[in-house]
Amino acid sequence: MACRLPTQLATPGKLHHPHHTKLSTCHGVLSWRRTLATDALCSSTPSSSTALSVNSHKRPLVTCTARTNVGAVNLAPGTPVRPTSILVVGATGTLGRQIVRRALDEGYDVRCLVRPRPAPADFLRDWGATVVNADLSKPETIPATLVGIHTVIDCATGRPEEPIKTVDWEGKVALIQCAKAMGIKKFVFFSIHNCDKHPEVPLMEIKYCTEKFIQESGLDHLTIRLCGFMQGLIGQYAVPILEEKSVWGTDAPTRIAYMDTQDVARLTFIALRNENLNGKRLTFAGPRAWTTQEVITLCERLAGQDANVTTVPVSILRVTRQLTRLFQWTNDVADRLAFSEVLSSDTVFSAPMTETYNLLGVDSKDIISLEKYLQDYFTNILKKLKDLKAQSKQTDIYF
Amino acid sequence: MTSTATAATVNGSTSPHHHHHHHHHHRYSSMGLRPTTLSLPNTPNWAPSFISHSHSHSSHRSHHSILVPRATTSSSSSSSPDTSGNNNKPPNNKKRNKNKNDKKKPQNQDQTQQTLPSSSSATTTTTTTSVVAQEEQQKQQLRLDLEDVNPVGLGRRSRQLFDEVWRKFSGLGQISSTSRADQRDALDALLIREGPMCEFAIPGAQNTTVLVVGPTSRIGRLVVRKLMLRGYSVKALVRKADEQVVDMLPRSVEIVVGDVGDPSTLVDAVEGCSKIIYCATARSAITGDLFRVDQRGVYNLSKAFQDYNNKLAQLRAGKSSKSKLCLAKFKSEDSLVGWEARQGTYFQDVVASKYDGGMDAKFEFTETGEAVFSGYVFSRGGYVELTKRLSLPLGRTLDRYEGLVLSVGGNGKSYVLILEAGPLADTSQSKLYFARFATKVGFCRVRVPFSSFRPVKPDDPPLDPFLIHTLTIRFEPRKQKPAEGPAAGVKQDPRSFKLILEYIKALPTGQETDFILVSCTGSGLDPTRREQVLKAKRAGEDSLRKSGLGYTIIRPGPLKEEPGGQRALIFDQGNRISQGISCADVADICVKALHDSTARNKSFDVCYEYVAEQGKGLYELVAHLPDKANNYLTPALSVLEKNT
Repeated sequence: MACRLPTQLATPGKLHHPHHTKLSTCHGVLSWRRTLATDALCSSTPSSSTALSVNSHKRPLVTCTARTNVGAVNLAPGTPVRPTSILVVGATGTLGRQIVRRALDEGYDVRCLVRPRPAPADFLRDWGATVVNADLSKPETIPATLVGIHTVIDCATGRPEEPIKTVDWEGKVALIQCAKAMGIKKFVFFSIHNCDKHPEVPLMEIKYCTEKFIQESGLDHLTIRLCGFMQGLIGQYAVPILEEKSVWGTDAPTRIAYMDTQDVARLTFIALRNENLNGKRLTFAGPRAWTTQEVITLCERLAGQDANVTTVPVSILRVTRQLTRLFQWTNDVADRLAFSEVLSSDTVFSAPMTETYNLLGVDSKDIISLEKYLQDYFTNILKKLKDLKAQSKQTDIYF
Repeated sequence: MTSTATAATVNGSTSPHHHHHHHHHHRYSSMGLRPTTLSLPNTPNWAPSFISHSHSHSSHRSHHSILVPRATTSSSSSSSPDTSGNNNKPPNNKKRNKNKNDKKKPQNQDQTQQTLPSSSSATTTTTTTSVVAQEEQQKQQLRLDLEDVNPVGLGRRSRQLFDEVWRKFSGLGQISSTSRADQRDALDALLIREGPMCEFAIPGAQNTTVLVVGPTSRIGRLVVRKLMLRGYSVKALVRKADEQVVDMLPRSVEIVVGDVGDPSTLVDAVEGCSKIIYCATARSAITGDLFRVDQRGVYNLSKAFQDYNNKLAQLRAGKSSKSKLCLAKFKSEDSLVGWEARQGTYFQDVVASKYDGGMDAKFEFTETGEAVFSGYVFSRGGYVELTKRLSLPLGRTLDRYEGLVLSVGGNGKSYVLILEAGPLADTSQSKLYFARFATKVGFCRVRVPFSSFRPVKPDDPPLDPFLIHTLTIRFEPRKQKPAEGPAAGVKQDPRSFKLILEYIKALPTGQETDFILVSCTGSGLDPTRREQVLKAKRAGEDSLRKSGLGYTIIRPGPLKEEPGGQRALIFDQGNRISQGISCADVADICVKALHDSTARNKSFDVCYEYVAEQGKGLYELVAHLPDKANNYLTPALSVLEKNT
């Protein structure tokens, strides 16, 4: 137990609180060093110690390149990087795959940085993207993936089951440093809306620190803050309601302006090509902010059946978070549950979009609303179920 | 006895006895698939009726198997070998409590397995699988009794239950949840891969196989990607399946090795295809290469495709809906029978006719094997014509065709094609419709769509191809333009003519395009080779037009490698454009044109929008902004001329 406590203390929030917002480049690097240093301290578990030793081993190398050869790539002979070549980090995720699809359809050459895994992400290759294996938590694997790349789009987030810091902080820092060192022309980073206002949530704090870090790095960049994805609602509410399973919801008054990831991807590319937006920070939000209860009610109406709702008071979530913090194996859950702190507040995850639309030259009518999205989903799925029922009647004969 | 049962199931007998079977198979098979779809550990220990919780899971599961039809079918076929291995073992006495029919199953299955190898036929495999699944089910039910008192099993199950609850619970604390792996497959199917919810995806695209020729070209590789994103089945024709080439193509693309210059290699390529997108182009401007790829290649491929369509049609014991109908073929003396040369005047000018040179026309089969219609018209207002009452094959009418194609050798004169339409019984009610067509010096194919025919009497209704019974080719000295081309220098009397007729065919009608050809406008080419390149391209286009396939010919301006969908495009006919266009936009037009009826039988130039110079005329301008349901193609093409 005792040796686990430092791990919790080592969340980046404790290390460099976003309230000290005056980060110099030096500070940025330093804070990263400090993260690694504390990690080394608490590397008691054998699994993490190997990974971390690699990290600390490689650290001087990466920082070294970051300082010296900013111009080295430009001096090197070879074909100039084509502006259509992009690298998508986190391409298998909910947003990442939409980014890949959009990019491919617009004619970009897409390379996807994917972690080596037993079941490879074949769908990316099927769409025509190139897949390269690398792991953000192993910085030595990163540079090779950036060769010949013009733009990096980073939509990676750690998996729920792994420590939040490995990918979301250390990996990102390494990626940004590599990108800088190798002369990447543009870096697009996806963050969370209001992440600067909730330092108590580890993921949000990490995102905020990463935003800062990119700014300090001097890369041409674009930061896009997001609120919530409609796609997530399907698994959370729509499918359980259709399957007459219990739906879990909270009584939180928080409102989230959900957005279709396809819209996010589309706007991202418009923003990406707009040189005026270089170094800017945009917030993408859906047309309307919804509470959990409202979403469930909407799903019920569209599915034509009542949901079996189990409402969990936010207070319980918060207590659970405190509880789970005490155990190593639930620590990641605790980090993720930390959102309950946000949920319990009366926050609205939304932002006025008029200005952004004007900036991008997008018509607000083209942004899909949650009603429309869910309606499409239910119409299609109910039709599909009907078709399949009819089909299964036919195939009965052959059995 | 058992063998008959197998046969009956295979044949799908509908007797109630067997029907009973079917239901069982169906249900059990779906249960048998459960392990693969749910991807839970310890699947053999899973019991469907163990606790009330599992009930909700079984509904969950059945939904999953419904949501992902592809996944279930694949898992059923893949699971069959595994399960069949285990399931011969349980002794027969286990089924004592089952009814009579079920009792026979194990023997039945044993026999099937002995006599038939597992891969013998698809139907048998399914039967076996379902039987196997059923038996597995029985085994599980039996094991359940043991499980009830097995603390390990109980613990495992409660752990599963807990995990599920825990997962839900921890998911609550998140703002946007990422779905888990087991849900992902089901969701992916709808949201990402093929579902209608998926951006770009086109419903029913899986059933359309598109052959992409030149899949590694600048446009081709984008076309392949776009097709894949939309869910099409894609075949890619490559000359060599090098590693480099294969790596360039998405994995699910079927690679066919062949060369458009070699017709024999194209038979396999067109097999199973319903559309072709041709974006290959000669790698060099060497005449031989140009001829092979840009000219002969298009001819070979359109021919191979037509042959394939015809073969399919023969299998269906009918004519291909894509094949042309021959109305007349002038290859022998006999073929001229029925054609009648006539003369007439538009108005009676008694005085003038006394002094003019009169007119004459004849239609004859020459010694060189050509059917020649020739003569002169010196009379004012006079004309000569060649006419025939059509005799269509039994059961064929022209309403399933959309126009005529004439293969003629002319000397640059223009002619009027006249169709007489009306009820056959009463020819006095026939109405006349006309369309004008021009010839070039030398042989050419002229497409005259029925839609271009106008009634001679303006009040008559539009032409109904169903009623056409007589065809006439008329020459009149009016409106003749001086001939263009090499023979232009030779002084010609506009009042004399010579027309060599090869054939007249009707073009089949259709909704969509069958063959999309990416050609070029010629701008931006190396001036020294421009003529040769254009000549080959135009010849290729020509051979496609006369193939009878529905075609779309896209002539983009100089290609640029930049993202598409950024700028407005100009669609134009008449070789007037001057701007470039991104490869991605050309690829997008190709893919959009596949199912767009306005794209059928059209050739057009396309480039980026620009401000036209003063007095240079207006072009069809189409705003092309990257929004969601952006169909810019239909309005752009609907104003362009067909059969060009």
